[in-house]
Amino acid sequence: MLIIKDLESGYGKVNVLKKINIEVPKNKVVTLIGANGAGKTTTLRTITGMIKLTSGHITLNGKSIDNFPSYKVACLGLAHSPEGRRVFPSLTVFDNLQLGAFPRLTGSRPRGDFKGDIDRAMELFPKLKERRNQLAGTLSGGEQQMLAMARAIMLNPDIILLDEPSMGLAPILVEEVFKIIARLKAAGTTMLLVEQFAVGALNIADYAYVLENGRISMHGPASKLKNDPAIKAAYLGGH
Amino acid sequence: MRFKFLALAAGIIILSLFPIFQTNTYYIHMVERILIYSILLFGLDIVVGYTGQVSLGHAGLFGVGAYTAGILYFKLGVPFLIILPIAVIVSCLFGALLALPALKVVGPYIAMVTLAFGTIIQILINEMTFLTEGPLGIIIKKPIIFGFQTKEIHYYWIVLAISALSLLVINRILKSRLGRSFEALRDSPVACDCMGVSVYKYKVYAFIISAGFAGLAGSLYAYSEQYISPNTYVFELTVLFLLAIIMGGRKTRLGAIIGAAIVITLPQLLGDVKLFRIVATALAFVVVAGSALLISKKMSTVRKVAVPVIGTVGLMAFSYLIKNISDWRLSIFGFMILLVVYYLQDGIVGFVNNFYMRIFSSKKSARDQIDVGDFDKDDAIISAKNSSAPDQLLNLKSVLMQFGGLKALHDVDLIVKKGTIHGLIGPNGSGKSTLINVLTGIYVPTSGTVEFSGSSIVGKVSAKIALSGIARTFQNVQLFNEMTAIENIMVGLNHTYKSNLFEIALNLPRFKREELAAKQRAYGLLKFVGLEELANEEARNLTYGKQRLLEIARALALDPNLLLLDEPAAGLTAPDIKELLLIIKKIKDKGITIILIEHHMEVVMAVSDVVSVLDFGQKIAEGKPKEIQNNPKVIEAYLGAQTT
Amino acid sequence: MDIFVQLIYSGIALGMIYAVVAFGYQLTFSTSATLNFGQGEALMLGSMVGLTLSNLGINYWLIIPLVCVFGFLQGTVVEYLGVRPAIKIKSEFGWIMSTIALGIIFRNFAENIWGRSTFRFPGPFEDDPIKLFGANILPMEILVVLGAVSMMLLVEIFNRKSIYGKAVVATANDRDAAGLMGINTGLVITFSYALSSLTASFAGVLISPLTLAGSGAGGALGLKAFAVAIVGGLSSGLGIVVGGIILGVSETLTGFYVSTGYKDVPSLIILLIVLSFKPAGLFGKTTIKKV
Repeated sequence: MLIIKDLESGYGKVNVLKKINIEVPKNKVVTLIGANGAGKTTTLRTITGMIKLTSGHITLNGKSIDNFPSYKVACLGLAHSPEGRRVFPSLTVFDNLQLGAFPRLTGSRPRGDFKGDIDRAMELFPKLKERRNQLAGTLSGGEQQMLAMARAIMLNPDIILLDEPSMGLAPILVEEVFKIIARLKAAGTTMLLVEQFAVGALNIADYAYVLENGRISMHGPASKLKNDPAIKAAYLGGH
Repeated sequence: MRFKFLALAAGIIILSLFPIFQTNTYYIHMVERILIYSILLFGLDIVVGYTGQVSLGHAGLFGVGAYTAGILYFKLGVPFLIILPIAVIVSCLFGALLALPALKVVGPYIAMVTLAFGTIIQILINEMTFLTEGPLGIIIKKPIIFGFQTKEIHYYWIVLAISALSLLVINRILKSRLGRSFEALRDSPVACDCMGVSVYKYKVYAFIISAGFAGLAGSLYAYSEQYISPNTYVFELTVLFLLAIIMGGRKTRLGAIIGAAIVITLPQLLGDVKLFRIVATALAFVVVAGSALLISKKMSTVRKVAVPVIGTVGLMAFSYLIKNISDWRLSIFGFMILLVVYYLQDGIVGFVNNFYMRIFSSKKSARDQIDVGDFDKDDAIISAKNSSAPDQLLNLKSVLMQFGGLKALHDVDLIVKKGTIHGLIGPNGSGKSTLINVLTGIYVPTSGTVEFSGSSIVGKVSAKIALSGIARTFQNVQLFNEMTAIENIMVGLNHTYKSNLFEIALNLPRFKREELAAKQRAYGLLKFVGLEELANEEARNLTYGKQRLLEIARALALDPNLLLLDEPAAGLTAPDIKELLLIIKKIKDKGITIILIEHHMEVVMAVSDVVSVLDFGQKIAEGKPKEIQNNPKVIEAYLGAQTT
Repeated sequence: MDIFVQLIYSGIALGMIYAVVAFGYQLTFSTSATLNFGQGEALMLGSMVGLTLSNLGINYWLIIPLVCVFGFLQGTVVEYLGVRPAIKIKSEFGWIMSTIALGIIFRNFAENIWGRSTFRFPGPFEDDPIKLFGANILPMEILVVLGAVSMMLLVEIFNRKSIYGKAVVATANDRDAAGLMGINTGLVITFSYALSSLTASFAGVLISPLTLAGSGAGGALGLKAFAVAIVGGLSSGLGIVVGGIILGVSETLTGFYVSTGYKDVPSLIILLIVLSFKPAGLFGKTTIKKV
């Protein structure tokens, strides 16, 4: 569904990513893990047009999306729950969810069962249901993460990119977040999960890529990588 | 260098002889006005070209100078030679007054502040008739100097002399540490403060100095025009000044003069439709031909040149449609501004420079050898070994940093021992950068104590903290991009100067000595990090790895006891990292204490004596590198808990 | 005493006009961190176009929507020529100078089309004042206040109720995240400029029957509306209403009790003082530096 080929990109003069190759097949959960500064978020930002790629190709469902602006990528069915949540603080929870479906409500994507989807989102995230009319800026970190994920789901996307959903969350909340990802996985949602917490990500993903200094240093089925000692070395040094 | 000096001397000679051969006072007066405007523009360039702010109030300062002269002449009969310095001083005072609201704001707000200021001055001049005679204006005669009644030609020479002097003084000032500080202010205010150059202070200097020149120009203008009235010092004049600076070229004296010449001769040009048509047609021709040349040399595309081509051709068509030019004068100014702001950003001077270099692809005059004599590179870093600082160089107790509901730092205790390398690690968002920002005064801690070298730094401004011995690098490189590598370091050496404005303006011996010493030290610091070959290269052209090394060298220029390195290895390749480790070790050998934030574990573990681990704003572990690597809490914080 | 209250009424009406123009600054600043230094000229053009339509015999109440359409188009032109290229090259100097330049050009065109003199703009009401709390108030002044408040309320309702309005708020909150939602933020910025000029032109038609309309009206007005926007804080709607009233009343009082020449001074001094001590405005929020 999503294919990244020989991708190079970065900020200004720095080429953070050096020819990486990633494939996210339909209905699978693929995770991209690696230490901080390795380039995980850069990868996602390049896919959704927030950064220009220097070379390489990105295709979504066979269509090239190289350097497409963010809104176009969203209208093609790729939802992105960004690093740091980035919910709209002066809008309510409901408004945020509604905006997640913006392309559906303005004709860029099939409208589908909008009302039903809102209800389903509330059911998946009960905390949001309670705070339906609350301003998103007043939610706690964990609740904002739920909102960001629910907002991404509201697009009715073909694929969801989750950027460090566990960042800054207490361990209990991290558990909850991964439970929700598990439910989404069970429903067949295609996901690309970027995580700094390798263990949780490897537990839930089907396939994993490890990013080190802008290169894929290893990849394989998540179950295999989970017990690999090289993972620990990649994160904590220790040569 | 010689060439420029000869050109200047030739220019002055030609201009001095000019009124002898061209006796028509109309043209003498015109050149006089160009010189007077140039003086103001030299000063305006400091604010617009160097500190990068938009000032919409310089017409007002010009008016202050003119009316100080007018009032002193008319009401008190003060002689010319005394009026000039008084006008300068009064304008400087107004400049300081203007700086006050401009201090804490940037960008569009400065534009508003200066606009409001200029408007108020114009209103005051118009309304305070008891002082200024209001709309009636004041008539001024040419000055009598020591009993001699000067005529047009004598006054012209006086103006020429003063403008030549102004050019020299401004040049000195802008090439000195003042000019560097102004540019640093524009490129990165945060880095400026952290290098001990107080943004507030230098903003005020910039406004005061530029106001002084504006006032000088204004007072000369009063005697030149022999009549002043309030409706001259209006918004349109300020816009004209800005157009002159951008069109001529920022940061060059020649640009200011060219700009002044253009805006003064423009009304003559625009008074005559036929002449305007000729010029518009010629301009359109030049732009079309030049665009064709660039396209044929594959240096530009049709899309890029479309707008200037359409614009100038449209202007040419417009010139044939209208009958009376002076009614449309302002539209043409407006149109010129649009064109210049997007297509001539470096001004005529800059454009010619770039064009010359592109067509003839000459190398920049970089890399000329800097004469540093027998300066030993190891002397560049002042050893901190024998400093009287206490063994516990840095002592944090119960530091809380709260932003609204978020506790970025929560009850953090930290002791850093003198002469050690102290590593600081933790997952994203754990509070590492927040801690560095607290240590450098960017954030004031909500509560808790922070003691450096025995005294508290809580509440001190960044510039003061920097000067007291804490230097830093930044996670996102904050170099002064448009300045060269050596200039970047010399900003860090600002604190080594004791000479004042006068000594700089007059190039007195102490200033000369200090400048040479600073240059040598800066070069030595570049050598220390291995960048001496790139001394004259603009910082933004360096590769990322070299930029990070330059930041370290710049921080060392502060003679710090404590050096904070914020992710110095980010984005570096393996060989770069090896080099970095060597440099860090050498810094430690000089006795400088280092706090090292890093995600590259091999870097932290290789050099640190002690490592502290932050998670969620709290310290969760501390100890020797090997202990930390095997600490289960740390492993969990980084890799995540073992879920079933 | 009567005169004093009368001046207060006039001041409030005047202040509401400033508030509407300041509202326009807020609209564009919140979505794009830029604003139109020629906003005063947008107001002036609104009143001049309205004048022409009025001379053609068109009814006042029909002039209002027509001028609004004109303003919408004018704002689009300003954004396209002046702001969009500057945002692309990330030059603050660029949009400041080019919106100033466009303002100058519009003013010059207005001078040439309508001349430099000021005109009487016939309003929809007779000039007979009404008595309110013992002092005179013109019906037109009441219309100005009502018109200004309803315009701002309409935009607020649009922002809160319609999906497109919410998209504008989202862009103002976080432009990158709004893009991820499928919102074309470039279009949002163009729209906010169009809306900003619309409100300014609307204000121009409102204020003209009270003051004289002329091509030179724009400059000082744009600056005083800045003052209102700064005092109110560039993100608070209530703030600019309060700021507008304060500045409007200070102007009418100064104009009467001191002299007409000085009437602009209090607003400008308030601007300078607020920027000296509380740059985020009386109602604004200070942002945290991120290094």
